[in-house]
Amino acid sequence: MFPHTDGVVPPDTYAMLFTMHGTIMIFFAITPILIGAFGNFCIPLMIGARDMIFPTLNMLSFWFSMASGIVLLASLCLPMGAAAGGWTSYPTLSTNIGQPGAGQTMWLISLFLFGISSTMGAVNYITTVITLRAPGMDYFKMPLTIWGIWLTAILNAIFVPVLGAGLLLLTFDRVFGTTFFLAGAAATSGRGDPVLFQHVFWIFGHPEVYILILPAWGITSDLLAFFSRKPAFGYKMTALSLTAITVLSTVVYGHHMYTTQMSPLLTQSFMTLTMLISIPSAIFFANWLGTLWKGSIRFASPMLFSLGVVFVFGLGGLTGLYLASTSIDLYLHDTYFVVGHFHYTMAASVLLGGFAGTYFWFPKMFGRMMDEKLAKLHFWCTMIPLNGIFTGMMIVGYAGMHRRLYNPFVYEFLHKLIPINQFITMSAIAMGFAQFIFLYNFFKTIFGKNIPQASANPWEVGTLEWEIPSPAPHYNFKEIPHVKCGPHEMGNPNLNNGRDFQYQTEELIKA
Amino acid sequence: MADFKSSVGMTVTLISFGMMFATLFLGFFLFRFSAPVWPPVEIENLPKLIPFFSTLVMALSSYTYWRMEKGIETRKKFWLATTVLGIMFLVGQWTLWNALAASGIFISNGAVPSMVYAFTWIHAAHIVIGLVLLLWLGHLIFRKPQALTEVRLMNVGKFWHFLGVIWLIMYLMLFVL
Repeated sequence: MFPHTDGVVPPDTYAMLFTMHGTIMIFFAITPILIGAFGNFCIPLMIGARDMIFPTLNMLSFWFSMASGIVLLASLCLPMGAAAGGWTSYPTLSTNIGQPGAGQTMWLISLFLFGISSTMGAVNYITTVITLRAPGMDYFKMPLTIWGIWLTAILNAIFVPVLGAGLLLLTFDRVFGTTFFLAGAAATSGRGDPVLFQHVFWIFGHPEVYILILPAWGITSDLLAFFSRKPAFGYKMTALSLTAITVLSTVVYGHHMYTTQMSPLLTQSFMTLTMLISIPSAIFFANWLGTLWKGSIRFASPMLFSLGVVFVFGLGGLTGLYLASTSIDLYLHDTYFVVGHFHYTMAASVLLGGFAGTYFWFPKMFGRMMDEKLAKLHFWCTMIPLNGIFTGMMIVGYAGMHRRLYNPFVYEFLHKLIPINQFITMSAIAMGFAQFIFLYNFFKTIFGKNIPQASANPWEVGTLEWEIPSPAPHYNFKEIPHVKCGPHEMGNPNLNNGRDFQYQTEELIKA
Repeated sequence: MADFKSSVGMTVTLISFGMMFATLFLGFFLFRFSAPVWPPVEIENLPKLIPFFSTLVMALSSYTYWRMEKGIETRKKFWLATTVLGIMFLVGQWTLWNALAASGIFISNGAVPSMVYAFTWIHAAHIVIGLVLLLWLGHLIFRKPQALTEVRLMNVGKFWHFLGVIWLIMYLMLFVL
């Protein structure tokens, strides 16, 4: 490969690599797994329904996302390569002038198809949670996993179409010669505005990052309670905080655009709102700690990963405050500090939350438990290098190393950061190899012989899905359950049936 | 009572589509209020009569849809009227695009033609979806009346009236104000 640069990745290929990395991770890893897979699996089971309310729409949503993925991967085979404008695809780089060739257009089409898929899914999830909850399941008796996924779907429904419109207009610019985002000499006649794209993109983009993390927040909130054998501390406040964050996420998008010469009044407003949104985040984070406090902690693998989420989200969230401040952000914008921040909050938290959910619900999905020893090994071999990568990035970012640069070391002042960069790379390789432990465990458990059958409720928790056999039968529930208490009724000293928890279908025993 | 569930779905869908159109309108308003001179030269040549008639057609189709929903005896007649009016709307849009091209206004001619063409194309694409839904309703009305529930009529109606409202806003924005 790359014979004309002696095997080293050339600059435009590098741009293509980080573009596709961002796009694939967000739209084809986090969204299908956390929202698509966990949403479709957990929602009907945890609210006591037989299926989602619109099964055909659901299937359409899946196949649209498949089509979208095929279009995107196909674009890698084009002679001029795939899109290379960053996952944020700002014009003028993403217009015909910056990116001639079909790769960027196919990226736009792929994401538009994916947006259609997401919107259909969102309609399905929102309507299912509103209309198909089992009798007795009020909103404030739903597991927090459902709160997370439901709020994600609401944000999806409202803001993915905004991206859709922006992508459509950019596609028109590329294909039909419109000038929505072209200005100055680049516009053939009439003036557009490239910064308009940034506004449209980030009106979607900021809610999108909350879309990506809300399911993981919900899963973690539930799992911390389950494995501390205590009710979730401040359950109602957590649900309300997640809702507040959902609402506030709509008005903070400008913090991605502090360097676009917006008026200081605007930047200060966005700064204030962004700092405001940290308050509900801190509330539910404190509730996580309150759940753990004096709990009878069971350090099973889902709990290890959930504790990992607490750690990485704590770090990542705190670094967000630095970036929220306009004056500091003017220095930190587009450095690796930002990359470290969003990978901690988005990639690390969601990844660890996703693994926690996978290990937790695996028996309900497949009827067997994954190997605990391998799971714990996987946790440590992931967690340690993960922190190496992203703390390293925050350090080099703080020192001024910018992102998306082909060769940052043309700048002399960055030369002393080369050892840290090498450390980051080594950590990344180590973390990458650690995932083979998970893959081996996953496939060995599914296809292996002589793996013991899992019981209906191996984790001894009370939400509705654990009252039915493992794996869940096709119809989920023989009879629709009647919900009588909340999802985390555990540790009640007055329980006298040999268990330390109550199923949601049992009458609440007073403490 | 059991059936209102699907209308929650249609309401969410309309919020989604509404956000998409709202983004387009946001772009329009930004151009409008940051342009040094309004209307720009291109807009003075826009055909005004054709979109006016299109608006009347859409408004009439909303009325005939409402009649179709309410009465059972006259249902088939008003379904036909609504569907024909919907097709007439698309024909009107087609005429509009041809008229624009004939007076030399093409989509690549700058910011305002960009918006006029792009927005009306996107709206027309959604009208096509609406027509598909109308044809499905027609299939139910003529072939499977027992499957024609009140909720289905209401849901498609929401969508159809939504398209009418969006067109009205678009018409006022692009051709009137």
